Amino acid sequence: MPQGMDKGIKPAVALGRTLNLANVLKMLKASIRPLGLLGPAGVWLLLLMVLPTLLITELSFVPGLRPGEAIEGYGLLNYLRILEPTYLQVLRRSATFATGTTLLCLLLGFPVAYWLALMAPKRWRNLLLVLFILPLWTSSLLRTYAWITLLRPSGVINLALGALGLPTQSLMNTHWAVYIGMTYSFLPYMVLILYASLERLDLRLLEAAADLGANPRTTFWRVTVPQTLPGIAAGCLLVFVTSLGDFVVPTLLGGPSSMTISRLIYNQFLGVARNWGFGSALSMVLILMVSLAIALLLKYGDRNPEIYS
Amino acid sequence: MNSAKDATKNRRRLSWQALVTVLMYSFMYIPIIILGVYSFNESRYGAIWKGFSLTWYRKLMGDERLFLALGDSLKIALCAVAVSSVLGTLMAVGLARYRFPGKSLYVGVSYLPLIIPDIAIAVATLVFLASVSIPLSLWTAIAAHMVFCLAYIAIVVSSRLQGLDPNLEEAALDLGATPTQALIRVLIPQLMPAILSGCLLAFVLSMDDLLISSFTAGGANPLPIEIFSRVKTGIKPDINALSVLLILASGLIAALSEYFRYKSERI
Amino acid sequence: MPRRISRNSLLSRTSRRRFLQGSAAALAGVGLANCQRTIGEAGGTGETASTDAASDSTQASGTLHIYTWADYTDDELAAQFTEATGIDVKVDVYDSNETMLAKMQAGGGADYSLIYPSDYMVTEMIDLEMLTELDKSRLVGLDKIREKWKSPVYDPDNSHSVPYSWGTTGLLYNSELLTTPPTDWDYLWDNSDVLSRKMTMLDDVRETMGAVLSSLGYSYNATDPAELEAAYQKLLELKPDLASFKSFGWQDELLSGDLLLSMVYSVEGIPVSLENPTFKYVIPESGSSVWTDTMVIPTSAPNVDAAYEWINFNLQPKVSQETVERLFFATPNGEAMTMLSKELLENENLFPPEDLLAKCEGIAPVGEANALYDEYWTKVTSA
Repeated sequence: MPQGMDKGIKPAVALGRTLNLANVLKMLKASIRPLGLLGPAGVWLLLLMVLPTLLITELSFVPGLRPGEAIEGYGLLNYLRILEPTYLQVLRRSATFATGTTLLCLLLGFPVAYWLALMAPKRWRNLLLVLFILPLWTSSLLRTYAWITLLRPSGVINLALGALGLPTQSLMNTHWAVYIGMTYSFLPYMVLILYASLERLDLRLLEAAADLGANPRTTFWRVTVPQTLPGIAAGCLLVFVTSLGDFVVPTLLGGPSSMTISRLIYNQFLGVARNWGFGSALSMVLILMVSLAIALLLKYGDRNPEIYS
Repeated sequence: MNSAKDATKNRRRLSWQALVTVLMYSFMYIPIIILGVYSFNESRYGAIWKGFSLTWYRKLMGDERLFLALGDSLKIALCAVAVSSVLGTLMAVGLARYRFPGKSLYVGVSYLPLIIPDIAIAVATLVFLASVSIPLSLWTAIAAHMVFCLAYIAIVVSSRLQGLDPNLEEAALDLGATPTQALIRVLIPQLMPAILSGCLLAFVLSMDDLLISSFTAGGANPLPIEIFSRVKTGIKPDINALSVLLILASGLIAALSEYFRYKSERI
Repeated sequence: MPRRISRNSLLSRTSRRRFLQGSAAALAGVGLANCQRTIGEAGGTGETASTDAASDSTQASGTLHIYTWADYTDDELAAQFTEATGIDVKVDVYDSNETMLAKMQAGGGADYSLIYPSDYMVTEMIDLEMLTELDKSRLVGLDKIREKWKSPVYDPDNSHSVPYSWGTTGLLYNSELLTTPPTDWDYLWDNSDVLSRKMTMLDDVRETMGAVLSSLGYSYNATDPAELEAAYQKLLELKPDLASFKSFGWQDELLSGDLLLSMVYSVEGIPVSLENPTFKYVIPESGSSVWTDTMVIPTSAPNVDAAYEWINFNLQPKVSQETVERLFFATPNGEAMTMLSKELLENENLFPPEDLLAKCEGIAPVGEANALYDEYWTKVTSA
């Protein structure tokens, strides 16, 4: 027989032998358990996560779709509309808020995490950390509401400033209020992640650096930071992604010129605009921005966070 | 920054990190404290202190609409978490045990609810429900909440799974237990603290959820939506009272969660 | 499109039965529920609710789920209704016609048996086939409606809707802090430095765009893209000085001095001006909008019988009169008007003089131009 045919027939025959009924039944039986374990959740995720995402991908290509209307044609109009200056500005604004918040959280959170992980008395570390994280467990709505009480022109901060004879602030309904509110919301996340990273820092490295004559600043920049870079990246990623899609803070604390992408999407579906096609396209763009951020920051973080082994 | 050694030597001297830390703790807690103080203020407007009073708490107690909203939220959260705890745990166990073609895809999909912003998930779910003509109701909200609940529970349980002793289960099998029995009577009890911890996390997330509920709940009015509409229409002192109560409740849940985590680490 | 927040501004409905059903499912809720129930019953809601418990258990014919403007119904009205009919009332609120339409279209309105769209929205919803045609034989008291509303432009012969209230949109301002009083829309632009970040406009696309169009001399219902573009540009000019677009919730800020001027619906502005003479309500001279809010039954209504009961209940002159006196909206119910106090009848803000009314326009559907309005509004609010 020609060489090629010989090579082809042998595996085919082998396959045929394995695929007899008994073996197939055995395979099925063996897969009952994994199916039972992974099936239900998998089906649920498929139905309510995957399918919906695919659906909005489709709708994003339907220009000007109103609810209740039939899909008449596809086109890039929705995406092109996003390129208009007004909407690009919204995207830019969201990204600016997110970046600013991330930086603020990093700058303010790192000292806290450092102190907690490396300088606080050992016995109290866990408790102190939990205390810092505690506000996370309360409603983010209410925490933002607290800031309204503080920031409004007749609010607490101005009361205090007035009592001290200082000029009053008018931060309410401005970008600054949004930064304050967002930083307040996400600082605990940053501290938590940085703490986890700093806790694992090998102190002997710091000692070694000091022994080799490095001053504290050099030690910090050349030992501490590189060692905790994955944690920093993870923290920044989490804060960036969550603040990018944040809805509550800009809506309650921001003024009429603080429209963010989340609010814009909301308006397309449950607000005045009723343009589901455009809203879907905006959602896809948001997902894209998030994916980009993840890809970028994962470069510096743990390559494969093997949560599922 | 000082090295840790220096810090121990100079514990007396206040390091600037400690200073920043104190500032940040104040930053975190002052708004909450202010809310608490104002919840006891007789006057409607924060500017004037009219005297200590429980008026707003009393008003809160008589607010039927709010309690109905709380009821709706609890219904959604409890149902979603209950079902998700089972599904999520099974999923975590399955992923830890088996390798199969397409596993990374499955894993990726299970990450999605954590990564994709709430608004996008909410929107996608609404669009899906509208396209298959399912009217929005309490059940659609529960269904939507289940998605992120099971993702979070799965992650918490998975991280615990890694640290478990596989010999226990093998021993059970050797002693004649069926794999199912081994699962239920050996593995699950070991995982219980993690499952509970994950459930608490999912519960809190579900109770606090605004966007997904806005888009998927019909006829039901979960608490965050009610609070949101009230906050948008102005400062109301009974919201202060509500905040204090909810913060206390959350603190309790956080303490519980910490307790479970602590227990699970001791096993 | 009036909405109002009553002084108590808390909506509650005597729906203890439903509440009990709900709390059975929520374990933790049971404890709280029992707590609250005891306090609520012991304290009483202060109105004619004493027989509620009895009527709940003997006559209940379901629940009526209403979707309405904030505070078109208050606790008292709901309690009276439940006492009279035994039907529980559950109220959800919306703050703009478009939001209501969006929710209904998104599938979230399947629970509601009664909604309160404004005039132009009624026409739109009829076109979208979302409203049931009313069976006039089941309605009692339609004849008491004034001539003007017997066959209005937005719904000839009231085939799908029953007029409930009407009013205007105007400016509510702090007369102590503003030395020159506003008389027209342009006041906002002319005094934007004084008013900077201390004024609000309605978060309602047709109202606010309409006001700007009116200030330019155009119609509230303009469809000419050039006119809309001009209005958009003018609004954009004003935007940096606006504190926010707010349809509700400006009271606290106005009263505390955070705001100096707000564009408001008469149904909310007038009570404030009556309670507190510092604040005055004025209808702009170049013309504002006059709106009518109606009661309609959506095609997806689950409890149509209860809906008819509610409409009939509200058509009763006595009920109408009492509600007007509590909630301060102008009623199209002729007989109820005759029962109103002289004070209210003579209130020019509540019942404006004919010549001023003549300059006010009703907001009408603009058909294709709707998309243009939406687009400009999205742009204004995003900029």
